[in-house]
Amino acid sequence: MISALFYLQYHTVRNRLVSRFKRLKQPKYLIGAIVGGLYFYWYFFRYLFRGYAGGPQPPANLTWPPGHLLLFELLGALVLFVIVLMAWLVPHERAALTFSEAEVAFLFPAPVTRRTLIHFKLLRSQLRIFFSVLLLTLFSRRFGGNAWIHALGWWLILSTLNLHFLGSSFARTMMLDRGISNRLRRLLVLGLAVAMVAGVWVWAKRTMPRLNSADITDLGSAMDYLQRVLTTGPALYLLYPFRLVVRPFLAPDATAFLGAFAPALLLFLLHYLWVIYSDVAFEEASVEASQKLATRLAAARAGNWQGAKKNQKAKRPWFALSGTGFSATALFWKNLIGIGQVFSIRLWITIIVIVVIFGFAFAGKAQSHGSSIVAEFLIAIALGYSLFLGPQLLRLDFRRDLPLADILKTFPLRGWQIALGEILAPVAALAAFQWLLLLIGAGLVFYLPAKLEGLGLAIALGAAVLLPVLDWLLLLIPNAAVLLFPAWIQTGKDGPRGIEVTGQRLIMALAQLLALLLALAPAAVVFTVIFLPLNIVVGPGAALLPASLAATAVLAVEAGLGVLLLGKLFERFDVTEEHTR
Amino acid sequence: MVQVESLTKLYGEFTAVSELTFSLQPGEVLGLVGPNGAGKTTTLRCLAGIIPPTRGTVRVGGHDIVRDAIDAKKQLAFFTDEPRLFDYLTVWQHLNFIARIYQVADYERTGAALLEELEIANKRDALPGELSRGMKQKLAIACGLLHSPRVIYFDEPLTGLDPLGIRRMKDSILKRARNGAAIIISSHLLHLVGEICSRLLILKNGQKIIDGTLEEVTRKFSEQPGDANLEEIFFRATSETNPAAPAAAPPLPPGNER
Repeated sequence: MISALFYLQYHTVRNRLVSRFKRLKQPKYLIGAIVGGLYFYWYFFRYLFRGYAGGPQPPANLTWPPGHLLLFELLGALVLFVIVLMAWLVPHERAALTFSEAEVAFLFPAPVTRRTLIHFKLLRSQLRIFFSVLLLTLFSRRFGGNAWIHALGWWLILSTLNLHFLGSSFARTMMLDRGISNRLRRLLVLGLAVAMVAGVWVWAKRTMPRLNSADITDLGSAMDYLQRVLTTGPALYLLYPFRLVVRPFLAPDATAFLGAFAPALLLFLLHYLWVIYSDVAFEEASVEASQKLATRLAAARAGNWQGAKKNQKAKRPWFALSGTGFSATALFWKNLIGIGQVFSIRLWITIIVIVVIFGFAFAGKAQSHGSSIVAEFLIAIALGYSLFLGPQLLRLDFRRDLPLADILKTFPLRGWQIALGEILAPVAALAAFQWLLLLIGAGLVFYLPAKLEGLGLAIALGAAVLLPVLDWLLLLIPNAAVLLFPAWIQTGKDGPRGIEVTGQRLIMALAQLLALLLALAPAAVVFTVIFLPLNIVVGPGAALLPASLAATAVLAVEAGLGVLLLGKLFERFDVTEEHTR
Repeated sequence: MVQVESLTKLYGEFTAVSELTFSLQPGEVLGLVGPNGAGKTTTLRCLAGIIPPTRGTVRVGGHDIVRDAIDAKKQLAFFTDEPRLFDYLTVWQHLNFIARIYQVADYERTGAALLEELEIANKRDALPGELSRGMKQKLAIACGLLHSPRVIYFDEPLTGLDPLGIRRMKDSILKRARNGAAIIISSHLLHLVGEICSRLLILKNGQKIIDGTLEEVTRKFSEQPGDANLEEIFFRATSETNPAAPAAAPPLPPGNER
């Protein structure tokens, strides 16, 4: 029977690879593959042959300073300990092996034993682990060491963890079957973890000199203290099983690796036996999990990442919408509700409270002006991030509605009206967030040195006018891109994958950056032409506002033209070719 | 109410619909039938203004669907085979949204009545994710009927409905036709077509084989009066031996479903 499952897995992978090679006949995938290949070579593969940053070949055998190997081993073990602890603490559902709906439909009613299904699941997870190992090895190899040792070390760590997750889910189900509730299990596990940490703490308190802030003057001394705690007390033994798993990866040479590999492999095999001989019914939960997976995939295919993540809740509209009036407002209203799924009123209030507390805390310590300057600097960074990350995160526009383009096209609206309605909601949400930051920034201006007050206020006012239009332009570009090149922009999570798709994304990112620079150029020229002479006459504070207003006017014209263009693109958009990849 | 003249849709060199001409009067129910890949969905999409025809014209209520798209679209509703809904809007928010799009001032009264008629009034605050397939279909229908369209296109309208839902849907279609709506139904369910359609248009490989009343079509494909039911007529009309049936076209390029 397992041979049939091997057959299924082999042909799934093979057919997927064949279809990927076949699609390279299309120029968009071929160009993407070339760019993606260059990217992976540049950042990862070239370090297989050359050293980091063009330096010499990294050493094949790593030589650690004395004591450091044990410390790294213990730190790695500590990380594994936390991961395993979380696996026992966090999940609450019964054991479920995630199968696709097709696998559930064909395999569950088939004469296949439960153990065979587990083997199939393990076989499939090995494929995923193989690619993870490849990427992790390419990354860790940049810092030296033998590639094979890295690869086998990563494989042992990931495979053992994978088995442990599965085993712990089976154990959790068994406990639930025997009346041990999730709460009781968590209490027991947490109690055990607390006892272990307390043991180490008590030992450290009794045997090591008292720690005071003067002892930790830099990272080196902190590392020394941590090393003493971990390497000379009970932690050394408590973390022993985890150290066994990490040790092969850290082996400095082949001899040390072989010595470390055998016990780690034994641990891996024990995990395997634990999983295979756990007699736990996972079918019912697996069917449910596969249905949830299918729902998430369907939501992702429809461009709904939020829906793909969790169950949505109905949200109230941000304003009442009457049956008559400007029709495009309906799209704005709809998308605001969608944004409410991500940014609820409660989240907004939380953000405002945090920002206000943060602002007042800084202002309270602002006698030397230093804290206020730091706060203003942080606000400027947050504004910068919001400008460039915001349009990527807030996708409640054509990027989300494209799978419903045929429905939008039946609406009795002109293209520009649909474009305007689609783009307004993310602009409004981004601008609201940025104005909030600017308001805090403007409030903090009065804690700056007196000579900077005017300039600070002028910058805040100028930014308040400029930012919404900039957001608008920044959102127009990906929206135009998705209508012009729908196959190049991912409207869902379950789109094509691979090096060629990475290449496509890189090309699109560069093209969008270029388009943005072109759009900003006229406004930058106007700003400079007005600001420079006014700066000489009235100073920078007074010159900023008129220059910003003029630049905003130029950008507003571009934004208006952009909406008209976006509308035309939508009218020309052929839904029959929408998903051609 | 609907006038189609020489409608042609090409995908590259592939002809999905070729020189299709027909018209539909108020109160008529036209059954659009044909084998898989005949061009039914492409035809409906062109008639709804979702995709532009390559050649030919489509007029809805006297308005050209390409040149005068807004006025044409105001009069029609298109129901796809899969209900297409916004997953973050509740049932009532869908109606509110559609009302503004189609400028329905008294949508609250009409919407509530539609929800009652379609028996989903108790799901008013539910998201599409909380609805069954049939309920989603009903919500899509409520949205489409909210602005009292004069032209209605259905693509497989009975998919996912339970027996009672099917009965109500048929009654609803006939009621709209009696009230003067022109209706086109694309379906493989020939008994549905036979029950509620007054006219039949059979497509094969993008070309019209016949268009006429049920009696006219039956007469043409019957060797003797009453010797064939609609299923038999369909097979005769679309068989390769029928001299009127066009030869099979090469397969569509990937991604371009018909």
